[in-house]
Amino acid sequence: MKILVPIKRVIDYAIKIRVDPTKGAQGVQLSNVKMSMNPFCEIAIEEAIRLKEKTTAEVVAVSIGPKQCTETLRTALAMGADRGIHIETKADVRGDYIDMQPWGIATLLKGVVEREGGVDLVLLGKQSIDSDCGQTGTLLAGLLNAPQATFASKVDRGDDGSFTVERETDSGTEVIKLKPSAMPAIITCDLRLNTPRYPTMPNIMKAKKKPVQTISLEDMVKELGLNLDEVLTPKNEVIEVYEPPPRKEGEMVGDVMELLAKLKEKGLVA
Amino acid sequence: DGHGASSSSPSSSFSRLFNPTADHLALRETVRSFVEREVEPQALSHNRAETFNVPLFRKFGSGNGGLGILGLTVPEEYGGTGLRDASAVSIVHEELSYSDPALCLSYLAHSILLANNLAVNGSREQLATFLPGVCDGSKIGGMCMSEPNAGTDVLGMRTRAVYDPARDGYVLNGTKMWITNGTITGNETGDIFLVYARTGDDRGDITQFVVEGGMGGFAAGQKIGDKLGMRASPTAELVFEDVFVPAGTHVVGEVNGATSRAGTHVVGEVNGATSCMMRNLEIERVALAAMAVGIARRALDEMIAYAASRPAFGRPNLFNFGQIQRHIGESYSEYMAGKCYLYGFANGLDLSRSGNGLDADGVKLYCARMAKDVSDRAIQVMGGYGYVGEYTVERLWRDSKLLEIGGGTNESHHKNMSRDLLRLSGNKLE
Repeated sequence: MKILVPIKRVIDYAIKIRVDPTKGAQGVQLSNVKMSMNPFCEIAIEEAIRLKEKTTAEVVAVSIGPKQCTETLRTALAMGADRGIHIETKADVRGDYIDMQPWGIATLLKGVVEREGGVDLVLLGKQSIDSDCGQTGTLLAGLLNAPQATFASKVDRGDDGSFTVERETDSGTEVIKLKPSAMPAIITCDLRLNTPRYPTMPNIMKAKKKPVQTISLEDMVKELGLNLDEVLTPKNEVIEVYEPPPRKEGEMVGDVMELLAKLKEKGLVA
Repeated sequence: DGHGASSSSPSSSFSRLFNPTADHLALRETVRSFVEREVEPQALSHNRAETFNVPLFRKFGSGNGGLGILGLTVPEEYGGTGLRDASAVSIVHEELSYSDPALCLSYLAHSILLANNLAVNGSREQLATFLPGVCDGSKIGGMCMSEPNAGTDVLGMRTRAVYDPARDGYVLNGTKMWITNGTITGNETGDIFLVYARTGDDRGDITQFVVEGGMGGFAAGQKIGDKLGMRASPTAELVFEDVFVPAGTHVVGEVNGATSRAGTHVVGEVNGATSCMMRNLEIERVALAAMAVGIARRALDEMIAYAASRPAFGRPNLFNFGQIQRHIGESYSEYMAGKCYLYGFANGLDLSRSGNGLDADGVKLYCARMAKDVSDRAIQVMGGYGYVGEYTVERLWRDSKLLEIGGGTNESHHKNMSRDLLRLSGNKLE
């Protein structure tokens, strides 16, 4: 089985994002800020490794971004992926929705799937924590005309090549079977799917010997016969990025009667 | 919130100092995430109960998909990770100590005092025999140097090893004290130790032996309870009563008139252990300094977070008050000074040679005191909360005190550094 796992390098989930107005209306402080693999992508890699441990599979990690993405790919390799593909963008191209957006990414990934050949499954995080779109997986499935299941909380593979996916919804757990198809199954991963393993030192050392192919975005686009504009020019323009207004301090009231009076005063209660 | 967008993040030159290569960064991140998930949640309870978390410790080993850091500096062919560099050692000790300095101390005794020492000083046969179990976590051990009546005065040790030609081995008699990992459960000894014993009449006639748990006459005297700090790390008195240790008949030379035999349980040359000692003391001091840096970093994070969220006197937080500003400012700069001294020194340290004592002593002397001071200020900033176990900083304060005593007292560093500086006194500092 061949599993493709697109992974994204984002600002670490624990960092408080700071807007940087000196860089324009969309400016965010990005320099010297800790970057990590998107947590949902980590879950996708972990799931791919678990599937590999149950059967035989090749896990290929692919990342689109600046040269530091090789670090993110190395982490994926240290977790157990077999090889990496790095589609390198110029240093100032932003992946957090400002420059690259899901449509462009999905278009590129469709090309990668076809270029690889023989991909049985594409596992993605359900969304990235910077753009928070949750669209790349579904767009990819649409472009490929492939079966998809999103927000997976459990994934099982059938001997016939089908995938059974459990999804948590507001009304309960939904179980979907993706039938085997000429196209790879597309599954996006939710938080409760698994707890990703930490890369152990022996595996980090082994990962150094695993191959990572680096190819520039421009070269990849040319090779895939795509239009650079399709991929790189955003379809939606971000007008402004700003921090949420600071939470206002609440008012203390003495008792329930006073609370009701205040609520009426503010027109919040009839 | 009072500070500008770009002023608080470290510049990339500090990042490169603290993480010289991509491997070092990967090491730091993996240890940090392991510590967050598995070490942090258990630190307080083991400190309270004075128990050693053996299952977690074994996860540091390479067996069963563990972290693989017990043999950090041991060559890969013997089961280690092959990272023979002091920067990697510093990174691991700093990250572990952020959450559990006591567990880190046991890690230090095992990975540096035992594993690294053996890897540097042992024969190929000894490495192949003893290191795989030490690296995979199935064996836990340490090193025996101090005695009830000899600590700083290392060469004053009285444990004796006498060669018995009839059995081709040495008979050890004596007592060792303050041995980290000396006992694991409280009753039995640990699994394997490097033991220094006197094999001749000159002060420097010391030999290093491998002693294994289960050898006749080798027992745990007492587990040292009621320690001020490092309570989750087991400390013991170890007793040697006619412990026979095989030597083997492989003669390698002559030192001080004694025939030197390298064998199964004799490490290095007979009467030649002072050089084994010297080679390992420097990396031990670097590791202890790194523990101090981890302690200080945690104390700083705690005091900053507390001060930022605690309102007082109508002001939104404590950063408005000068004395708090002083505690925080002084702590940060002292921490950075110590951290830069540590990595500046570690990044250039060759683990297979000695002769760098001045800065090994210096960095531990400085960082140990710094960690104690920063933890103390953290308690002060946090007030009543700082005084309580749940808020972590009191444990850091207690743990930090050990660093001024273990692995070299402050006084021993003063003595060594003065000797070294006197020797260099013809020349001005660089």
